[in-house]
Amino acid sequence: MASMEKRLQKELQALLRDPPLGVTVDSDKTSRSLSEWTVDLEGAPGTLYQGEKFQLAFKFGPRYPFESPQVIFTGSNIPVHPHVYSNGHICLSILTDDWSPALSVQSVCLSIVSMLSSCKEKKRPPDNSIYVKTCSKNPKNTKWWYHDDTV
Amino acid sequence: MSPEKIVILGTILIWRSMTAVINIRFNSCHSHLLHVDSSWTIEKVKEQIAAEEGVSPNDIRIIFAGRELQNSTAIREIDLGLHSVLHVIQGRKRNLSLQVETDCERGQGEVPETEKEQSTPLNHYYIFCKNECKKVCAGKLRVRCSKCKQGSFRLEQEPSCWDDVLKPGRIMGVCEEKDCSGDTAEFFFKCANHSSTEDESSVVLYLIKANTRNVECITCLAICDPVLVFPCLEGHSMCLDCFRIYCQTKLNDRDFIQHPELGYTLPCPAGCDNSLINEVHHFRILGDDQYDRYQRFSTEECLLQMGGVLCPQPGCGAGLLPEDEQQRRIECATPQGCGFIFCRRCFQAFHQGDCDQRLMDTASTTGYSVDPARAERARWERLSKDTIGKTTKPCPQCNVPVEKAGGCMHMQCTRCKLDWCWLCHSPWSRECMGNHWFG
Repeated sequence: MASMEKRLQKELQALLRDPPLGVTVDSDKTSRSLSEWTVDLEGAPGTLYQGEKFQLAFKFGPRYPFESPQVIFTGSNIPVHPHVYSNGHICLSILTDDWSPALSVQSVCLSIVSMLSSCKEKKRPPDNSIYVKTCSKNPKNTKWWYHDDTV
Repeated sequence: MSPEKIVILGTILIWRSMTAVINIRFNSCHSHLLHVDSSWTIEKVKEQIAAEEGVSPNDIRIIFAGRELQNSTAIREIDLGLHSVLHVIQGRKRNLSLQVETDCERGQGEVPETEKEQSTPLNHYYIFCKNECKKVCAGKLRVRCSKCKQGSFRLEQEPSCWDDVLKPGRIMGVCEEKDCSGDTAEFFFKCANHSSTEDESSVVLYLIKANTRNVECITCLAICDPVLVFPCLEGHSMCLDCFRIYCQTKLNDRDFIQHPELGYTLPCPAGCDNSLINEVHHFRILGDDQYDRYQRFSTEECLLQMGGVLCPQPGCGAGLLPEDEQQRRIECATPQGCGFIFCRRCFQAFHQGDCDQRLMDTASTTGYSVDPARAERARWERLSKDTIGKTTKPCPQCNVPVEKAGGCMHMQCTRCKLDWCWLCHSPWSRECMGNHWFG
């Protein structure tokens, strides 16, 4: 537990001090509990999501960073994207199978921004309605199949 | 050696302020302890030894860690550490007349020569002491003759990289032992925390380094000492606490990589190329229990890779390497095995004819007379088999039961990584995607 808190404390300081473009940690919500963060994202200029604002909810377990955080889109605006379900779940391999303790909140945010940026057509995943009805609350319980890295 | 001195060897062999106790081995035949002052020169030490042994101080030479110590050197200048042995040789110096190979292969890093010369910290080698300390400890590099195994060996050239130390036959020298013609050095490591017998050595964990550069741990972001430096080009570093949890997490997920040459191992967590840990003793850091588990998984993966099978009998799991790969009938031969005879395809008791397709299941008990007590136990197993049969399908490639807890028809076997279709029970295809991806 101690290692998780120390690491999150350092990540938080670094993100508040030097945030990457379009990524802002909501420090009010985050300082209440270090194990749950809210991060504001902005769609990158020149992409389909330009000007849109999104919110990510991070949940960290006691084994972070050895185990991945749970990351979902939250709030009123869920991006319409072939890898984002309407309940906010994200199909992104670094959030489960390809997670590594060398990754961080910042690298996850940048991956998600980049995933949005490379999208060519705004649409929901083909199995959205059935998935949203049947899935677990925690996207980490879903056995994801990462079928297309180009979108 | 007087009995009183023997007691000292076992109990208070430590540096106390300026005085020290050194173990002297004279002519490789007998040892005794010598109380010295750390300000003494080797010349003074020789005088003391000469007086005790009844020889002339000019007649003896002192060898430590492959080097002859010069008269002008002070005791405090040599990295003597605790429980070290000085080899004292009587007689003339033998001549060195050998050529030495000097090439060093890249890849394992250089012995930190400059760092070794700094005053503090002196220690830059780490070993896993499995006999006494049961943890990662500072290690001492020592040298002996590869032929007679005595420490009275003088190096012609000092090692300049890890390969010189780890690969045999690279560094030559002269054995000072009477009647020994040995000319090749043999390096070994000892735990620096306690005295050990001459033949007791530990495997050096050469990826663990003193954190002289104050590098951050890639995982907890703290600056710790020592660190494990992965063999990738970047040399990503991790503190030992994080490394232990990293290994433990990967072991729980059975997510190590079985490499044909390096063994069962892990890469740098940053995903770098060529970063697999190339000396599996580093996984000793897991601790005895988990290292046992690591070794079991490692053996199993190696056996499966060689085309072997594991006995499916609960509580057995013996590894079997059938000579005939086509042979369907496999016996877990006693006395090493449990005696279970099973079918290679469905892993149930051996049977004639085709395997049962429903989970390739149903224990075909026909032909066996079942012990009533065993039958009682088997009811539980039967129940769990029924559950497995209802909720899972075997992977079309390796037969491991796969549960579909939700999601689409596209399955990926966690064991053999085959992508397959839940509906067709065959490898996943474009047609599956088109016809019944999630229906």
